[in-house]
Amino acid sequence: MSLKEKFERIVGADHVSDGAAERYVYSRDMTENPPRTPQLIVMPSTTEEVQQIVRLANEERVPLVPFATGQSVGGLTIPQVNDAVIVDLKRMNKILDVDEEGMYMVVEPGVTFGHVRKYLDENHPGLRYTYAISSPFTSVIANALLQGLCDLSTRYGAMAEFINGLEAVLPTGEIVRVGSAILGDDNWFGRYPLPDLVGLFTGWQGMTGIVTKMALQLWPKKPFTRHFALFTFGDFMTTDLLKQIVRADLADDAGALSFSVVKGLIGMPAPIEAIEGEPDYGTFLTLSGVTSLVLDEKVRLLERMVNSSKVKEPKNLLIPFEAVARLMSEEAYGWVDFPSDSFKQLTEYDGLTWMGTYIHTKNWGEALFKGRKIVEKYGYELMAFLKPMKGMHFCEFKFIIRFERDDENLKRVRQCNNELLDLALDLKAIPYKTPVWSAKKLHERADPNFIELVRRIRDLLDPHGIMNPGRWGL
Amino acid sequence: MTSDESVIEQWLHSCVRCSNCKYVFREYSPSCPSGEHFGFETYYASGRIWLAQALYKGELEWEVSLLDPIFACTTCGNCESQCLAPHSEHIVDMIEELRARAVQEIGGLPSHIRFRENVVQYHNPYGAEHHNRNLVETYGLPLQAETVYFVGCTSNYRETQIRDATISVLKKAGVDFTVVDEYCCCSPLIRTGQLDPVNEAAQHNADAIRAAGAKRIITSCSGCYRTLSRDYPKLGVDLGVEVVHITQLLKELIDKGAIVPKQTEHRKIITWHDPCHLGRAMGIYDAPRDVISKLPVDLVEMETTRENAWCCGGGGGAKAAYNDWSVETARTRIEQALRTGAELIVSACPFCTRNLRDGSSEDGPPVIDLTELVDRFI
Repeated sequence: MSLKEKFERIVGADHVSDGAAERYVYSRDMTENPPRTPQLIVMPSTTEEVQQIVRLANEERVPLVPFATGQSVGGLTIPQVNDAVIVDLKRMNKILDVDEEGMYMVVEPGVTFGHVRKYLDENHPGLRYTYAISSPFTSVIANALLQGLCDLSTRYGAMAEFINGLEAVLPTGEIVRVGSAILGDDNWFGRYPLPDLVGLFTGWQGMTGIVTKMALQLWPKKPFTRHFALFTFGDFMTTDLLKQIVRADLADDAGALSFSVVKGLIGMPAPIEAIEGEPDYGTFLTLSGVTSLVLDEKVRLLERMVNSSKVKEPKNLLIPFEAVARLMSEEAYGWVDFPSDSFKQLTEYDGLTWMGTYIHTKNWGEALFKGRKIVEKYGYELMAFLKPMKGMHFCEFKFIIRFERDDENLKRVRQCNNELLDLALDLKAIPYKTPVWSAKKLHERADPNFIELVRRIRDLLDPHGIMNPGRWGL
Repeated sequence: MTSDESVIEQWLHSCVRCSNCKYVFREYSPSCPSGEHFGFETYYASGRIWLAQALYKGELEWEVSLLDPIFACTTCGNCESQCLAPHSEHIVDMIEELRARAVQEIGGLPSHIRFRENVVQYHNPYGAEHHNRNLVETYGLPLQAETVYFVGCTSNYRETQIRDATISVLKKAGVDFTVVDEYCCCSPLIRTGQLDPVNEAAQHNADAIRAAGAKRIITSCSGCYRTLSRDYPKLGVDLGVEVVHITQLLKELIDKGAIVPKQTEHRKIITWHDPCHLGRAMGIYDAPRDVISKLPVDLVEMETTRENAWCCGGGGGAKAAYNDWSVETARTRIEQALRTGAELIVSACPFCTRNLRDGSSEDGPPVIDLTELVDRFI
């Protein structure tokens, strides 16, 4: 029996393909990372099917690469070895539970931000999840496992912080749970006090198993919310002002964008050039309160901070979002209500990439200041995205590049991202959603004992080396 | 087609595969019948665009395993409604060009080839005996008239109740019309990339319409309407007359009092299915609804309507080549219709009527054409 037939016995013939079309499309993603063709694509629909796939892969020594809903970046679903089998999880798309009292949901890997948003609005209107600036149809599990950021990251940190527990199929085929649900269903309330084994799966880019369920924290919608747009000048002055606002605990979310991105949002066609005298950044701020009094007081404090900043930069400007919507379009409300809606301006070409990192707060401004010079040198649009993280305990910055995927551009984008990564590593920033080339550069500078520990844990969990071999430069 | 411009080449550097095409924007219900059923990335618009680009650039060789992802698509255009990228309005054109290239390089699907051969031999895709002009005698129509009713093959050889209701309504309204010796409009061939016989048939139709001295064409088939209106000009075939869909004419006739719907005490609950060819392809959403609003019925809309409407599953050659999936797609639409509590499902496309009926259960609400409904009340 061929390998394909063996997989067909597990998931059904309709859900396995070795067709040229599928092998091509699953061999690459939207970024500059080099393609590699898999031998098969399989689409399981249950945890048990995933388990059988993993067991078969162990018997046959076949490399597996997990794949969620299709908006893959960083080459993270591109096989790093030949003859890999892509495990496309989009058929596992159920929201299994929403616990109103415990404020969490249990979802499968094919569930996307859009589907969560719709489901909660229709069935649990008092609760919200946290939403990313990615396509609305990005897997929430994938983003949590990859420690991505979202519109509550300014307050709570990377998305992995929202994980209460998970179920995974280990590389050796056992189904395990971590978190409080080890005591059974309806009990996914948290990760502590236990050995925190969620960390065996987050940041591992699918090397330690296939996550088949995840419990994620939900949050009550605040009764009083207002949004503002803050336009600022200068990298250091902008980051200093954001640090001040976030440390004062005024903002639930503060997503700052190069002004070029703001211009793109209002419809300016590509390529967008910076114009002398325009602001460098536009920051969308969300403020909330349990009473209107609390909210009003936060707004007053915010206005005072911005006014104080005008001593150094008189052109800094804070405007209520209602004015933004009136000036731009009603669509603007979508950007703060569900940030995924703003992703559309990143769909200009067939290529999209970024070098993104989490960085020490003290190095944030310098990273932006030097990073923009690199982007400008390569002639790309200035599309920085920055976010204060976890109450200002750390920060995020990335430079987004949208590009046409021709040979010359691919080479240039790689060079630009390389320089940006070197800058980031010089400033001791850690790259996230890390492509292999980027992880390898990190290894060169990281504590070798850490890399060795990662390798040892991976080898312990995956003795036959079937789970995403070569990933993260290992 | 005569145009040498490649829409694939024009959009060679578009689509990051963001997945917006997969779901209704801000509604998050599925938009793509093909992707929803087959699941692989290649069965969504974004996958097909990447395939088209790869084949164009020579990154992928032609082989028969490509045929299913290329042809298992109803070309309903819902992806175009959801896509937010600059190429959004050209996705179906890209898929149709990809299909034409597939036919050239490795041949089409057997069921598609069959109806191409039928069009060449019998002038209709069903292989039925060509008899269109006999309708002149059957219905006592003039040889020349201001209006030509372009019947369409499916209404003429399969869903004949639509043809009969249309002729009945036109007569009751006193419209000066005739039918001509029409050949297949070639929509089924254009949708499936079989372009060779298209120009000749289109030119024949243009000549026949001209010979009838017509000033306008009425179609009761949404597919014919789209093809005569949009595709013929691209072929370089100038019909030289206005093309009007029957729903537009019905609205005009009611508005000017040429037909006056009778009011009844019992008002049936109906729901309206937007045909892809009429709605997304031609932007006609209001005319049928305006007509329905003048009838003694109550319209309850389905959960996906207008540009977001779920496809009936019958178009793009899907019914001929992938009937099970095509009918499953219709069943999904029927389930949407059932949730409205409708006693009748009404549409204005013989393909939709046929496939929705195939997707219905025997005790479900009947599926009828808007002309049949209007004919009942005048």
